[in-house]
Amino acid sequence: MTFKELVKKALFLEILSGLALTLKVFLKKPVTIRYPHEKRPVSPGFRGRHAMVRESETGKERCVACMKCAMVCPSQCIYIKYNGGDGTPRELVKYEIEAYRCIYCGYCVEVCPMNAIVLTEHYEYSSYKREDNYFDKERLLLNWDEHVKTFKGKGYFNKFWSPPGIDIKRLPVGKRESINTGK
Amino acid sequence: MEQVEIEKDLHTQELTLNMGPQHPATHGVLRLVLELDGEVVKRCTPHVGYLHRGIEKLSEYRAYPSVMPMTDRLDYISSMINNIGYCIAVERLMGIEPPPRAKYIRTLLSELTRISSHLLWLATHALDIGAMTVFLYCFREREWLLNMFEMVIGARLTVSYPRIGGVRSDIDDDFIKESIKFIDEFPSRIDEYETLLDQNRIWLQRTKGIGVISTKEAVRWGLTGPTLRGSGVNYDIRKKVPYDAYDEVEFDVPLGKNGDVYDRYRCRMEELRQSVRIIKQCIERMPDGKILSDDAPDLDMNPKGHKRLVGNMSLWSANIAFTNEYTLTPKGELYSAVEAPKGELGFYIVSDGTGKPYRMRLRSPSFVHASVIPRLCQGHMIADVIAVIGTIDIVMGECDR
Repeated sequence: MTFKELVKKALFLEILSGLALTLKVFLKKPVTIRYPHEKRPVSPGFRGRHAMVRESETGKERCVACMKCAMVCPSQCIYIKYNGGDGTPRELVKYEIEAYRCIYCGYCVEVCPMNAIVLTEHYEYSSYKREDNYFDKERLLLNWDEHVKTFKGKGYFNKFWSPPGIDIKRLPVGKRESINTGK
Repeated sequence: MEQVEIEKDLHTQELTLNMGPQHPATHGVLRLVLELDGEVVKRCTPHVGYLHRGIEKLSEYRAYPSVMPMTDRLDYISSMINNIGYCIAVERLMGIEPPPRAKYIRTLLSELTRISSHLLWLATHALDIGAMTVFLYCFREREWLLNMFEMVIGARLTVSYPRIGGVRSDIDDDFIKESIKFIDEFPSRIDEYETLLDQNRIWLQRTKGIGVISTKEAVRWGLTGPTLRGSGVNYDIRKKVPYDAYDEVEFDVPLGKNGDVYDRYRCRMEELRQSVRIIKQCIERMPDGKILSDDAPDLDMNPKGHKRLVGNMSLWSANIAFTNEYTLTPKGELYSAVEAPKGELGFYIVSDGTGKPYRMRLRSPSFVHASVIPRLCQGHMIADVIAVIGTIDIVMGECDR
């Protein structure tokens, strides 16, 4: 052991330099936030709770029951039933999302040709009852109303809605335009 | 006479101790059965399978793009690299070449993910050994990275970002600015961690000479990634079989000498610096252009120009009938690997020409590394088992799949 190492060992120099760093950070502004009291702003396009867009003119959902979302869903948590088809327009009867099984990949939002199903930026929706997070059509529409209340501005558009690499002019009409929030 | 009786009673026998599956320092649900002589580990048997979710089997029932969000759940700490590894495997199978901008974005985000994964490794490894301050500092930077992922794709942990043939959304100027801020700031943060650990005598005593594995043995055990490079073997998939833009950026592969816990720690710390270097080059050379190849399949594997009618069939039968009708992928088998933060993450896909994999086998580094735990902690103290588990950076989600 050299003299230098001996001095280092005797005076606890490494530990002191470590503690100096700790003290330096101790005096800085904290990076943490006190979560339930103050909330971090989420980025636009955050994949949170599901909602079905309510058209401000008709007050109904935009879904045309094309079944694409149920087809691509990796966790198979979307259940759809419809009447009609084969020439006649389809009428949506049942649209249910089991939020406990959803893995929030956002595939349903991306394939939807009408922007009917969206993932809102709301992320606090745990509850004591299991049924509360089994969203049926009415519940999904209410989720949208709740989202619109917190949203400022006239048209709502999310950059993750459209599929990548496609010119926006080639998209279906329902996909191209921002959603009128009726404000 | 009485003396002899007492000696017989004091005869020490080996104690079998269950460590895990609910042990805070075993990184998830790893269970180790330790046979102890006093405090020395005589034998150690890892038991895996507590987090088995059947991802390999589940993927046989989904179209190729729908398998991708499940690969997030393999190594949930570095989900971006799992996604990219899977997408590269399918791209090689289908013969799709992603555009250069997508390649650079992927490389950039892979390296950010590598940093965030290594930060979590350093945090937990140091916490297990007894340095709690490092844990908190690492999470400070990791939070920053997760916020950056949220900027790009809208999710923090399970990103599902890339797409077969490209990426899902373009990065914007805000993200580039944030990345530049990060890489300017981060090297000084690495120095901070090293101030706390590198020369710390407690750290050195807990890590030097623990879990030594020689070069020859490390290769024979099938180790990969920093665990192998700590023993001085120059093997990095990013160099050997370059994917994405790794053949266009410059970086070094840090190597260790002794193959102990400390050398593997040094390797990973150097990798953090190399990652920063790669990110810097990616930002400088980021080309313009498209982010998704023209040949890329749709999310529902719909062939170009085909209108799919579901009718009143059930979804399952419609999907199966559809995928059997068209030849969507070439038939054959393929193994493709990427350098995940833990090691070589390989995807072995058998394709029968339909839109779903016939069989997908994952070669996950954590599973291979779990088998080397008994070898590494043989003859060490029970406290060193924790150091060994930390050094191979095991993630049970990937190990059990």
